[in-house]
Amino acid sequence: MLGRGVKRKWSCLADLEAEALPAEKGKNGEEGPGDEGSFHVAPSESDMSHLQQRQLVLGLCLEKLQHYQAGVELSLRRSVLLINTLRQIQEDMQSDGVETCTSETLLNNVHADSCLLRDDVREDMPVTCPGCSEGDGDNLPLSPPLSPEFPSQEANSSPDQQRSLPPATINSFSDAVNAMGYLSDLALDDIFEDIDTSMYETSDLPSAWAAGSLWPVSVSLWADEDVKMRPSSHASAGSLQSCLMDLNELDHIMEILVKS
Amino acid sequence: MAGAGGGGNSDVQWCFSQVKGAIDDDVAEADIISTVEFNHSGELLATGDKGGRVVIFQQEPESKSQPQCRGEYNVYSTFQSHEPEFDYLKSLEIEEKINKIRWLPQKNAAQFLLSTNDKTIKLWKISERDKRPEGYNLKEEDGRYRDFNTVTTLRVPVFRPMDLMVEASPRRVFANAHTYHINSISVNSDCETYLSADDLRINLWNLEITDRSFNIVDIKPANMEELTEVITAAEFHPNQCNTFVYSSSKGTIRLCDMRASALCDKHAKMFEEPEDPNNRSFFSEIISSISDVKFSHSGRYMMTRDYLSVKIWDLNMESRPVETYQVHEYLRSKLCSLYENDCIFDKFECCWNGNDSVVMTGSYNNFFRMFDRGYRQDVTLEASRENSKPRSVLKPRKVSTGGKRKKDEISVDSLDFNKKILHTAWHPLDNIIAVATTNNLYIFQEKLN
Repeated sequence: MLGRGVKRKWSCLADLEAEALPAEKGKNGEEGPGDEGSFHVAPSESDMSHLQQRQLVLGLCLEKLQHYQAGVELSLRRSVLLINTLRQIQEDMQSDGVETCTSETLLNNVHADSCLLRDDVREDMPVTCPGCSEGDGDNLPLSPPLSPEFPSQEANSSPDQQRSLPPATINSFSDAVNAMGYLSDLALDDIFEDIDTSMYETSDLPSAWAAGSLWPVSVSLWADEDVKMRPSSHASAGSLQSCLMDLNELDHIMEILVKS
Repeated sequence: MAGAGGGGNSDVQWCFSQVKGAIDDDVAEADIISTVEFNHSGELLATGDKGGRVVIFQQEPESKSQPQCRGEYNVYSTFQSHEPEFDYLKSLEIEEKINKIRWLPQKNAAQFLLSTNDKTIKLWKISERDKRPEGYNLKEEDGRYRDFNTVTTLRVPVFRPMDLMVEASPRRVFANAHTYHINSISVNSDCETYLSADDLRINLWNLEITDRSFNIVDIKPANMEELTEVITAAEFHPNQCNTFVYSSSKGTIRLCDMRASALCDKHAKMFEEPEDPNNRSFFSEIISSISDVKFSHSGRYMMTRDYLSVKIWDLNMESRPVETYQVHEYLRSKLCSLYENDCIFDKFECCWNGNDSVVMTGSYNNFFRMFDRGYRQDVTLEASRENSKPRSVLKPRKVSTGGKRKKDEISVDSLDFNKKILHTAWHPLDNIIAVATTNNLYIFQEKLN
């Protein structure tokens, strides 16, 4: 969110123009009229192609979600709208015909454990990603979305098809998630030590947690606020400990498990 | 615009009446107005701000000397409703900003209102004191106790007039019932209960009971990762005490009947307009998110506000609205920029006039719009200090959308998106409106001859 009084230039258009269409650079470069201290909008967006807009919106979306890191609390409504936009972009990329990640996979760095909590088999697990960087050498491995139960699926996705998300995107997702994770990353043991939690409902417990699995960590983009209220007695000490593990460790261990 | 008194008179002209708040452009964060609400008689006008304060204005009785002017609104009471709190569990501050104020219908000499921030609702009693007892036997006038030995006679204390004092006292505090941020409160027509809604749940309260509330709607998924929709507003039906509606971030409105079951997760009706495939974009969902829902006074219709339009729904027809009014369609081609500067997430409110013939909502550049349902006319007006000469008639404004900009028109690119009118209120009986800019409250009245 802009600070008050910051004059807004049409950066959204300007950046795009500079990148993709050097010939048209400067076409929309004029600043809007207006008083100091107000902000205005770019003159025309119709010049942006669908792909350009999609790229722009994707970038903006991640940027906004990362605001969590700055300590600014995003309202639940806004987070939901942003995530839905992200999903829509994902579907749009998919429908472009490029073999891409499923929406789950795209948000994989974010919902790394979600596969573990899901019972259903995910049939299609490509790890490619849309339109990106043909030239991008780094095949940054997405944290394997596979649970230990389905090692065969990794073999199925052929290595050639493995194209990674642009490093920036992955980092953004990770960062966003880590930032969200921080919200739920409390020393839950300490908090629940002396609180009488008998009146709190337990129906929201994810099944994996209830089962005392080793990876109960919920790294949703919005911290489940009610989680704070859950009694520690309903989960094993071991699983609570693992709540404190950060995402990178989780990825690393996942890799090991899958390969073994 | 039709007058409140009836009929279809589209010749209403609006005049500036008053403006409240600081004059300078440097806006203190705490002074930002966050809610505006007339009481049921229109005599009182309450505002809440980001600093947790409530200011109530009272209309002066009409003076005989100026019959063409309705009474002015002057400060009646000011109090600190909510204070900032700290949630130690989440290490987050709970804002004291007043999200909503709702008046209770008046039952006795005192006035009652509900005010809420993100987490706690409070019932305030506003009462007047204009008399005080004098002539106590055991106390001096200044309160000191008299020496018994000096009391030789007895007298009966009497009430004597004093300067009017308006007292606001918190009578009930309804706390700890909402995990998420409260966005709406609504008093039931039974005057005994009210609802409070946050992003995922709606609770039903009894006004007398603070330690218990009933959860009547819960849309929280078992797995938070499956969350795709939140509750954005909720309101009780004005006449049917068993009926309420709630709107969502996906542009749907659900009407629920509390007689059907204790938990109203299954709606009785769902109102949704199919999306126009021509207008589909990455922002479609965001702009369809409903920011306000208001029943008409009659209870037959309800109005919803999404980012670009106002829609009127007939409660008997769920498939589409009966009327749609474009508030600022010229912004449709600017959605990307508005997404970038976060304006696309702004939550505008809307309101009906007293006889449901005209609806009003705010826009940018301190513009606000009125739509006359009967005459199919609309007007854009501006709340600004420039048009603040007493009783000066407001001139309609126009935003030029095409290439050629006519004189007096303002181009879309010149609009100031920092100046947004999110909160407006219409007097329940007369043509008096309250329009809140960032930190000023403008009161406009119909020009009377």
